[in-house]
Amino acid sequence: MHPVRTACLALAALAFAQPVLAQDLVVPRYADETATSGIATSYDGDWFYMVGGGVAAFDCNADGFADLLLPGGESKATLYRNTSTRGGPLTFEAQQSGLELDSVSGAYPADIDSDGITDLVVLRVGENVVMRGLGDCRFERANEAWGFAGGDDWSTAAAVTWEEAAAWPTVAIGNYIDRAEEISPWGSCTPNVLHRPGEAAGTFAAPLPLKPSYCALSMLFTDWNRSGTPSLRVSNDREYYEGGQEQMWTLAAGGEPALLTPADGWKVLRIWGMGIASTDLDGDGYPEYFLTSMADNKLQTLTDPVGGPRPDYKDIAYARGVTAHRPYFGDDLRPSTAWHAQFEDVNNDGLADLFVVKGNVDEMPDFAAHDPDNLLLQGADGKFVEHGEDAGIANNGVARGGALVDLNMDGQLDMVVTNRRSSAQVWRNTSTDLGHWIGLQVKQSAPNVDAIGGWLEVKRGDAVIRRELTIGGGHAGGQLGWVHFGLGSETTTSASVVWPDGSRSEWMDLKADGFYVLERDKDAAAFAPGS
Amino acid sequence: MPSIDLPAPVGWNSEKATGRDNIAGPFRGECMNFRAQVAAIGAALLLGWTAASGALAADRPTAGEILRSWYYLMNELVRHTATYSPPVASRNFGYIGVTVFEAAVGGSDKLVSLAGQLQGLDSVPARQPTLEYDETIIISAALSDAVVYYFGNTGPTGQRSIKAAQTKWRELVIAGVPQDIVARSEAFGQEMAGTIHQWSLGDGGAEIINMGFPLEWELPKGEDKWVPTSLVRQQQLPLLPEWGNKRTFAVPNGATCATPGNPPYSTDPESQFYKEALEVYDTVKNATPEQIAIARFWSDDPMLSMTPPGHWVSIALQVAEHEDLPLDENVDLLARMGIAMADAFVGCWADKYDYNLLRPITYIKRVIDPKWEPILNTPPFPEYPSGHSTVSGAMEAVMTAFFGENYAFEDRTGSPDGRNPRTFASFRAAAEEAGISRLYGGIHFHSAIVDGLEQGRCIAAYTNALKTRK
Repeated sequence: MHPVRTACLALAALAFAQPVLAQDLVVPRYADETATSGIATSYDGDWFYMVGGGVAAFDCNADGFADLLLPGGESKATLYRNTSTRGGPLTFEAQQSGLELDSVSGAYPADIDSDGITDLVVLRVGENVVMRGLGDCRFERANEAWGFAGGDDWSTAAAVTWEEAAAWPTVAIGNYIDRAEEISPWGSCTPNVLHRPGEAAGTFAAPLPLKPSYCALSMLFTDWNRSGTPSLRVSNDREYYEGGQEQMWTLAAGGEPALLTPADGWKVLRIWGMGIASTDLDGDGYPEYFLTSMADNKLQTLTDPVGGPRPDYKDIAYARGVTAHRPYFGDDLRPSTAWHAQFEDVNNDGLADLFVVKGNVDEMPDFAAHDPDNLLLQGADGKFVEHGEDAGIANNGVARGGALVDLNMDGQLDMVVTNRRSSAQVWRNTSTDLGHWIGLQVKQSAPNVDAIGGWLEVKRGDAVIRRELTIGGGHAGGQLGWVHFGLGSETTTSASVVWPDGSRSEWMDLKADGFYVLERDKDAAAFAPGS
Repeated sequence: MPSIDLPAPVGWNSEKATGRDNIAGPFRGECMNFRAQVAAIGAALLLGWTAASGALAADRPTAGEILRSWYYLMNELVRHTATYSPPVASRNFGYIGVTVFEAAVGGSDKLVSLAGQLQGLDSVPARQPTLEYDETIIISAALSDAVVYYFGNTGPTGQRSIKAAQTKWRELVIAGVPQDIVARSEAFGQEMAGTIHQWSLGDGGAEIINMGFPLEWELPKGEDKWVPTSLVRQQQLPLLPEWGNKRTFAVPNGATCATPGNPPYSTDPESQFYKEALEVYDTVKNATPEQIAIARFWSDDPMLSMTPPGHWVSIALQVAEHEDLPLDENVDLLARMGIAMADAFVGCWADKYDYNLLRPITYIKRVIDPKWEPILNTPPFPEYPSGHSTVSGAMEAVMTAFFGENYAFEDRTGSPDGRNPRTFASFRAAAEEAGISRLYGGIHFHSAIVDGLEQGRCIAAYTNALKTRK
């Protein structure tokens, strides 16, 4: 383990525990602004689109505001340029971008060629494509230029990392059922693949199958043990695999991927795995993982995090109040179906909250038809309490993908959700009583300009909030851009970056309620939206 | 690439899978899995099973073959339908078995209707005596409708599979058959399926909410009483606590064949209860690879497998195929198995909620070793008697009555978990292994297994007493 990390984690272990907050739980208020937002893309199609529907949120025109790529399923995907003003209503304009592709199930933003312009890994029912960002929200297909073999599978998950010393990223693709199987698709999971850097600069090698594969619906490169080398967490849908389970692949630099096994401490877990959210909830320096499923959801934490942890996780979803197993609102008490999940601080109190997107697979009568999304707010005791209804986000759409992102750059996280066969929705966080906050972006020189694999640390009083910089997880879609931290009553903070190579920046003192770019070996630079 | 050494713990609802890679095949006697079967059917279709016109196609599936094909599909759907806990699977295999049996009665000079012998089944449709029917079409049509009646809640993939099977298999079975016979035979099969389904609706088990877990239920109090053993929120109340009150098929009610009850609860090391708990504890701690393999082979977890009822149906299908049973014997076997397994689960569940006994994991952690963990995940309902034991005792009795006491067979209901097919000298040996597998897995005490097996045999005697043949 890197010495800086070791020291950091030792301190974290001593200091564990989120400091108890004096203030009461503040419930954020959300207003549904879909009707006036200009958003009108639905996730269409039948069986091939029962999964997927992920949202990509990223800035495609360098104005600081997050733009949105919404998948259309069998209809065309649409890129929406964010035309909101700071603190104003959420408005978007559909942008002719080159992303008007059909059969899109989701997308993840990543600056693959490290040119400072975000590119996209676009998941499809059919050939996946990497789309090179050209600036001004325009994109071009780059499969051929970058040697990316997009395959012809039913792709449902992706994650991106830069392996040690690599100048080019590694892209993991999760694949689902063999869609040619009609009467008996069970047990037909097609191989996930790793697109690692090729021998020629700026290209991918031929995809490396990750066998066994168990119908992945979410993947995340994550440094679960703070070794400095991310592993690949894969959440799999037990509905279709035979003998499968949740997986964690280790990726020693340049070496063959290897699955963690019981000999390592890994325990078999078989769920309808659909989405992954991660954050360091307990302040011990290691991420917790929330796994979405049906009728139950899991929150995993290391059983024994002290001193070179083994990958032995215990489920604390029930203890922490995040089982989210059935609707909390309305008369429909049938079990829930959960998809995208994301930890973010929606009320700026310094504690990560949990957003879970819900929706019936497709008229399954044993599961809730009216299955509102969850907004679970974390209290000072570490337990979460459902506040979706009073926050105003208890929609009854058949939702799939989602994102919590500050769409109008007012320091309060807004919300976007995709729905099957009906329009995506956006909610503006209209709260007036939230705590202080800070928005940060991390930059370094090429490669890996967004420092994926690094960690951001922000102080809130005596507490340190840690966020791993990742591309992946959620359900079929992700975000790249400002990383949001709530600060509660703190009007100033300090921030530090643990870079992907393990080195740490100095702590930088920053004023709350602003956006800053933390570029390696430079002072923090304030960013003013619209400037 | 590295391989996975699948470990313990495995078990109920979130851990353990079985599969169908090794189940016996359907149409042509090969041993193949369900996907391979489908591929074979498709290939046959392309090769011209339906090409014949004006005369029966030579390779048209027999009634027995189409019967087993639908059963294989339904066994797959058991895993993929969220309401299908073991009691629900047993119930529905009971009605499906009666459906195919009654559909075949009129075409056989050997069979006698079960109408009047089963609770609430007073009459069933009859064929028009002077008209010609096709047995394969009747069976396929009956099951084509029955699969919707009993698996209508399955997910979109199951629905898609059902529709594809209905379409493609119909093409196969009607090939070369005159249209009037097709229409008449399909109508009769559908009428029979509808009649049996209507009968099923009044048994108290037709509607399953919350995957069988009550939204409200008062847990009995007492140190010997069952408490939740899982961290799954839905499973904080036990599975189907009123299933024991459900209408039975052949036995008078759920209290028939009641078990003697578990040994008195005690923490005294000299007590029978403690000794049985210590047996579980020691067995799991010192489990041999063979014992672990046995525990996994019979684990049969809902949502990850065809469940214990489906496992025994799988055995029946394998044996029926091996014996190349004629249709009348095949439907007789499946009806008896369905009836007996359904009654077995009602009886078992009646006793489970009479005694409400705690599980080994609760007692052992409390009294013997707080760090002990079983091999299998503990099922979310009371311990005594063992459901797998009861149903296995019942299946042993039915199959022994059908095939004889020393019928040796190989059960290829395997899985990619590395569990090889297992061979047995008799159905009794298989049932006893299924029972003891629950002790090896750490989820049942000895008494629950022994008494469960005996309860199942007792219940099956009522099924075996049914008159199905002239």
